[in-house]
Amino acid sequence: MTDHDDTPTAPLAREDVTADSPFTLPGFFAALDAGDLLAAVCEDCDTHLLPPRPACYACGGRSLRVEPQPKTGTVVSYTEVRTPPPALEDRAPYTVAVVELDSGARLTGRLSVPYAEASIPMPVRLTARPPDDDEREMALAYEVDWPIHEFAPI
Amino acid sequence: MVPSIAAVGTSDFGRIELTGRDLFSAAVAEAFADGPDPAEVVDALYVGNQSESYEHQIMYGTLLAEWCGLRHVPAERVEGCAAAGALALRHAVEDVRSGRRDAVLACGVEKMTAGGTAGATNALSAAFDRALEQRSGVTAPSQYALLAQRYLHDTDATERDLARIAVKNHANAAVNPRAQFQRETDVGTVLDSDYVAPPLKLFDCAPVTDGAAAVLVANAEVAARFDDAGPTVRIAGVGAGANNIGVADRNLTFVEGAHDASREAYDEAGVDPADVDVAEVHDAFTISEALLAEAAGFAPRGRGYESALPPAERSAGWTDTRLSTSGGLKARGHPIGATGLAQAVEVYEQLTRTATPGRQVDDATTGLLINEGGVADAVTVAHVLTT
Repeated sequence: MTDHDDTPTAPLAREDVTADSPFTLPGFFAALDAGDLLAAVCEDCDTHLLPPRPACYACGGRSLRVEPQPKTGTVVSYTEVRTPPPALEDRAPYTVAVVELDSGARLTGRLSVPYAEASIPMPVRLTARPPDDDEREMALAYEVDWPIHEFAPI
Repeated sequence: MVPSIAAVGTSDFGRIELTGRDLFSAAVAEAFADGPDPAEVVDALYVGNQSESYEHQIMYGTLLAEWCGLRHVPAERVEGCAAAGALALRHAVEDVRSGRRDAVLACGVEKMTAGGTAGATNALSAAFDRALEQRSGVTAPSQYALLAQRYLHDTDATERDLARIAVKNHANAAVNPRAQFQRETDVGTVLDSDYVAPPLKLFDCAPVTDGAAAVLVANAEVAARFDDAGPTVRIAGVGAGANNIGVADRNLTFVEGAHDASREAYDEAGVDPADVDVAEVHDAFTISEALLAEAAGFAPRGRGYESALPPAERSAGWTDTRLSTSGGLKARGHPIGATGLAQAVEVYEQLTRTATPGRQVDDATTGLLINEGGVADAVTVAHVLTT
């Protein structure tokens, strides 16, 4: 079902499950590349789902709307990867964090400061950029142009 | 029909000069040493196996069935990262419970050292959400470190408390002839080991392990053919639970899936946490034992980190349950797909009074197994074993 306004809502009809729908990963990353971080919000229980998906993990509901998310939030937890996946060897050590955005949506990403400078609840901002060479090397064919998201302290 | 465990066996655990199928052969040789051949009694085979990336081998059901004389029975591989072993066990239990089969062999096998540290790091990272987690470069230790960091932030626990869990499990492994690390360690050694993903250090982490384990689940008639002097071990309860694939979406200090799985298993068996004498919990990292002690109802919330303390020194609300008497994943070893069955082997030995002196728990009659896959409880299976 597609609403008359421009807000995509789930459940999607079969023909709406396309690579430009934000309820699919190609659509989600295309939006991120264009500057929008999208989450699905459950109409029944208000759970924020990032990336968007066709059903709510909290209540099972399938009435969801897509909403652009604030790119600011705080660190919920963090660590340092010292033994990375082989493709990212030259990057280590690097810091990763779970961040809760100001909307309540949460996601994991790299944090641009050394581990010793990170803390709970450090305020951070999300950015997205094209993948570097090493990240392209570990990418699957369909991921090569998907942006990489990162957090930086505010 | 409450199925029982008719026979158990394992390979050695560690860096072993055998391939996956050979490790399986060793486990089967032990399990069937004093009973009929597999072909005489086994009606189906389930194989827990994490990843084909270690040996470039799928079709482990067909392969291992052939390797133990069972080419003519239904056989399949079961996948759920480190919970694959208990998933295989659960399938066997349900087949026998329903009356569909008389005896089913549940086994697990993993040849983790085949690709070195890089191979294991890569293979394990496949358990995490590809879209946001893998592409951010997370690893197994870093995922559990995110849980540990928040736990240390929210509770009174310290890195020293986590170190004590590693020390306890090494002490248990020191008297377990099946263990990968049959040696003790001390708090100083753990705290001085290098950070892998802070606050977790090398000695907070389970090792990379080659190994296989096999458990024959059977009805009373078949189990009688394997009769030995010890008490019969029954699989009285089974439970399943899950959590989000992505760590960010979870309550970082409560393993809800493990809580749900253990409750279901308790309810089926008609027992309470206080009835559990021994528990093999999924201590892939020391933080996991603390979280699982709470989820399984052995410890009050925020106090699971006291699991290494003598019962008298633990907070009020703790049960007297002994955790990870095998040495746990930490020191017995963690051959991913085989771990759930290795846990069953330990509790089988505890309940049949065949554990070695020094780790045998007196009068143990009820045991709990919690086997997790993915980060912590992403998929969780619990079994209650009783005599």
